Amino acid sequence: MVSHPPRKLLIGPISAAAAGPLYQQIVDGLKREISEGRLTPGAPLPSFRGLAEDLLVSVITVKRAYEDLERDGIIYRRQGLGTFVAEAGDNRSREGKVEKARELMRDAIREATEAGLDARHVQRLLRDLIEGEAGKSHVGTRG
Amino acid sequence: MSAHAVEIRGLCKSQGTFTLGPLDLTVPEGALYGLVGPNGAGKTTTLDLIFGMGGRSRGTIRVLGLDHLRDEVAMKRQVGYVSPELTYQAWGRVGAAMDFVRGFHASWDNSYADRLLGTFGLERRAAIATLSFGARTKLGLVLALAWRPKLLVLDEPTVGLDAISKQQVFAELLAAVGEGRTVLISSHAITDLERFADHVGMIKGGRMVFGGLIDAVVDRYRLVDVEAGASVRFDTEPGVWVQHREANRWRLLLDRETKALDAIRDRGASCLSEAPVTLEELFIALGRS
Repeated sequence: MVSHPPRKLLIGPISAAAAGPLYQQIVDGLKREISEGRLTPGAPLPSFRGLAEDLLVSVITVKRAYEDLERDGIIYRRQGLGTFVAEAGDNRSREGKVEKARELMRDAIREATEAGLDARHVQRLLRDLIEGEAGKSHVGTRG
Repeated sequence: MSAHAVEIRGLCKSQGTFTLGPLDLTVPEGALYGLVGPNGAGKTTTLDLIFGMGGRSRGTIRVLGLDHLRDEVAMKRQVGYVSPELTYQAWGRVGAAMDFVRGFHASWDNSYADRLLGTFGLERRAAIATLSFGARTKLGLVLALAWRPKLLVLDEPTVGLDAISKQQVFAELLAAVGEGRTVLISSHAITDLERFADHVGMIKGGRMVFGGLIDAVVDRYRLVDVEAGASVRFDTEPGVWVQHREANRWRLLLDRETKALDAIRDRGASCLSEAPVTLEELFIALGRS
């Protein structure tokens, strides 16, 4: 059976009010779907024109997002066949997310240091946050 | 076969006190190209000239590889044109206007036309004279879209439309581009263009200010705050537009394709902060001066 990719709800909402440019939101949305296993290796993705039409963004925005994901080895394109999730796309998405988390934590440490917190305070802050997150439901904790 | 849907080179036209050009404009095939510019910049004149209306005094316009005047009939068979100046009233009813236009185009698609009619909330039996300005624009879009021309030239197709209608129009234009067709649209809806268009060109005083892929165009400019000595002036520096000045502090828009930043540093000014711009900010900054 050929599985057709969903289009309009393929990824989370894309909004000018959300942080980051629209193409980055598409990259992040697809990485999330792939790393969390809702899009599996080999799964077909919509054409960039089709996805642009559904997400109501310019073709160039989707193209740029696909190019980013292709460069990172998360998706691949086959001339005349379409675009697919790469074999190790899930791992690479996760690696990308780990790298982004590392960057965000580095920023957080810098902010905390500038505010006068020492290493122990930062560690305690992080531990409290991790425990706090564990007690919450998934929805609404993002951002 | 040409890779460019529209190719304008050295176009000039004088009309009373207004002079257009020399103007170069390139619209790649399959693009959704937004043409922006302050009122009276020459957008409508340019679009009308592309569609063979009004005489040019110099330059060339190639449309889908054809000379727009020598091959006018062949060109018009592939180009849909919508302008707020078209009233369609002579046909009486929406359905009659559709039947009339259908007669000219073998490629007219009835089911597509009916779907567009539904999307835009129009009815075949409605009298055109009673339609609102926005509804008349939507009728123009139905008449231009329904026969799937290779190129759509749309002058201000979202003027007077509410946010819902505007989104419907852009969704249909994205669908047209999705079929590989080309859309050239003049509009003041800059934030919409920033989301939906892939190419953008700005025209001012009859000349192109910039043109190209939207990301590249926007990324070319930066807003910077600098501190400079009291005698330093930036007004005449190429690639620099002064936004504000308070004492020795300036806010400048810089064109990064020029040597503007080096020139500023050479004058002993120090950069305090730098920020990218949105298309709308760029339009205001470059349109105002």
